[in-house]
Amino acid sequence: MEKQITVTRVFNAPVELVWKTWTDPELVKRWWGPDMFTCPTAKIDFRVGGKSIVSMKGPEAFDGGKEHFSIWSYREIIPLKKIEFIQNLADAEGNKMNPVALGMPPDFPEDVRTLVTFKEIEKGKTEMTVTEFADMGQMAKFAQMGLDQSIAKMDAIFVS
Amino acid sequence: MEIRRDVFQAIADPTRREIMDLVAHRSLNLNSIAEHFDVSRQAVSLHIKILTECGLLVIKQQGRERYCEAKFRQLHEVSDWIEKHRVLWDKRLDRMDSLLNELQSKGKKRNRLNKNK
Repeated sequence: MEKQITVTRVFNAPVELVWKTWTDPELVKRWWGPDMFTCPTAKIDFRVGGKSIVSMKGPEAFDGGKEHFSIWSYREIIPLKKIEFIQNLADAEGNKMNPVALGMPPDFPEDVRTLVTFKEIEKGKTEMTVTEFADMGQMAKFAQMGLDQSIAKMDAIFVS
Repeated sequence: MEIRRDVFQAIADPTRREIMDLVAHRSLNLNSIAEHFDVSRQAVSLHIKILTECGLLVIKQQGRERYCEAKFRQLHEVSDWIEKHRVLWDKRLDRMDSLLNELQSKGKKRNRLNKNK
């Protein structure tokens, strides 16, 4: 019931390569930042108990080109199958920060449990699913609502 | 701590979600809503109070009865929030996709070069 956000994609690439986009810092830098942002820092410490530091840097005009750091603390790794980690906002040294202190809305969850699963659906074709869960704060509460059904249902009602 | 009154809090509770389901298609008075639940009428009243404070319910007086009417517009705050995050991940996956294509075409080129040697 706490499921929050799920995205699934099928890549035309072998699972070994898709896996590497999470473990090779040079590859992580290529996809993590949002549009118009870069990811200058990716210190990857890919092991259970390890802590990676990744960053996003916006355009100068956006917020003076400030670099925003997150950490990924790995909880479970099953090679080529599953990565589970906790996302936190952090400082440049990878110390966890309070999201509100960083200017995020009070709803912003402090710990975001993130699950990435990989499935080779045929040779050279990999299905990857990312699920984000919020374990704390207001978001955790709303996440319990069984989001997919409820929203779809309520949206349908609203539209009709 | 300040008590939050927003749509996220409104739908955080299963009883409140059920109340919203009940009144989704037709306005109901408090008694008819309370009948559906094992909890006390007071508890249901409190949930209804929270829902009105969060803007998901409006109470309308009709004669001697007070009817609860659903207002779903506020729920868009929730779907907007989710949508924002989904879009963020979708774009990341787009970038991952083009990265993987690039890596593979490089790999193929390298293989070809090696074969030609």
